[in-house]
Amino acid sequence: MAIVNYVNKEIQFKVVYYGPALCGKTTNLTYIHGQVAEAHKGELVSLATAADRTLFFDFLPLNAVVIKGFKTKFQLYTVPGQVMYNATRQLVLRSVDGIVFVADSQWDKMEENVESFKNLQDNLAEQGSSLDQLPYLLQYNKRDLPNVAPLHYLEYLLNNRRVRVPSFEAAATTGQGVFASLNAISRMLLQKFAREHDTMAGNRQQPAAPPARIVLSGIAAATLRR
Amino acid sequence: MQAIPIITFEAANQLLNALTDYLEKSEASFALVIDRGGSILSQHGDIPAGSDMTILAALAAGSYAATRELATRIGEADFSTLHQEGQKMQLLMSAVDEDVVLVTGFGPQTALGLVRFYAARAVPQVAAIIQDARAAQRPAVPIFTAADVAAAFPR
Repeated sequence: MAIVNYVNKEIQFKVVYYGPALCGKTTNLTYIHGQVAEAHKGELVSLATAADRTLFFDFLPLNAVVIKGFKTKFQLYTVPGQVMYNATRQLVLRSVDGIVFVADSQWDKMEENVESFKNLQDNLAEQGSSLDQLPYLLQYNKRDLPNVAPLHYLEYLLNNRRVRVPSFEAAATTGQGVFASLNAISRMLLQKFAREHDTMAGNRQQPAAPPARIVLSGIAAATLRR
Repeated sequence: MQAIPIITFEAANQLLNALTDYLEKSEASFALVIDRGGSILSQHGDIPAGSDMTILAALAAGSYAATRELATRIGEADFSTLHQEGQKMQLLMSAVDEDVVLVTGFGPQTALGLVRFYAARAVPQVAAIIQDARAAQRPAVPIFTAADVAAAFPR
């Protein structure tokens, strides 16, 4: 749940990049860290093995848009993708506000994608949450490789829940789709926050938010290196 | 899991007073109140130069969560405190409640026993403030609306 600090006029959100091993979660954060201006980012911290595989998590704090005088802060985490680190994934998911599920588009990774997506749902259920309650989107990564599955097949495999969510093609090594995904999840989180707080404040119910579009504004415009 | 409070001016002042009193008595360097998701609820004291408290909070939350998991694996419900000792600085993490942790940093100017003693006294104070903040009513006016968000993300 987002934390609101009236003294500092800040709202903090926790976003977790989830997905199978070697799908490009850390590459997303590395690319973002490389592109965002110093004033809008903290250090990128990686708790990794000697072989540069994520052991616990990667962490990147970002300062994004200011809305009505409130600074919005996004704390980006990755989980370790390897199957044996499930206990660690559960810890990183704690208090999560939104999820970017990074799928590996290569044909031979489809089973791992589906298993990881199922694992995400199981782990959320463990902490009394679900994808019905959290904003999330799908990022189909590695679209620049030759042996990738078509988009409609990935949608069929992963974007088949009752409510379809935004999905993005990406090649995280070159940055394609990275900020589009980040921008969209940020917008989804802020819209959910606005709706919930408006309701809690006793005001009229806001209409459902429109699906996020690919816009390189918001976070990207506010934070990219100039 | 209980909802984390909105940190109002009143709650922020109460937390700051509690941490000020704790640091004066324990002679520790700094203290953070963090949620177990890694976000800072309050902080006070002399932050070591070059330290990013946001990162410290995220790492402390991860470390505490891993320790708690270890506890459950050996049949304990929780380890209520976690102590890390370096050459110059030490960290003491104390569970405030299910979702909040008090992190204290201190150097050779004080002693672990003293910090532990006063941390044990500060924890219930912080817990009471957090509990009151959870129970407090939400502000009558929303911070921003969906229209404000849409304006911040122009198409």
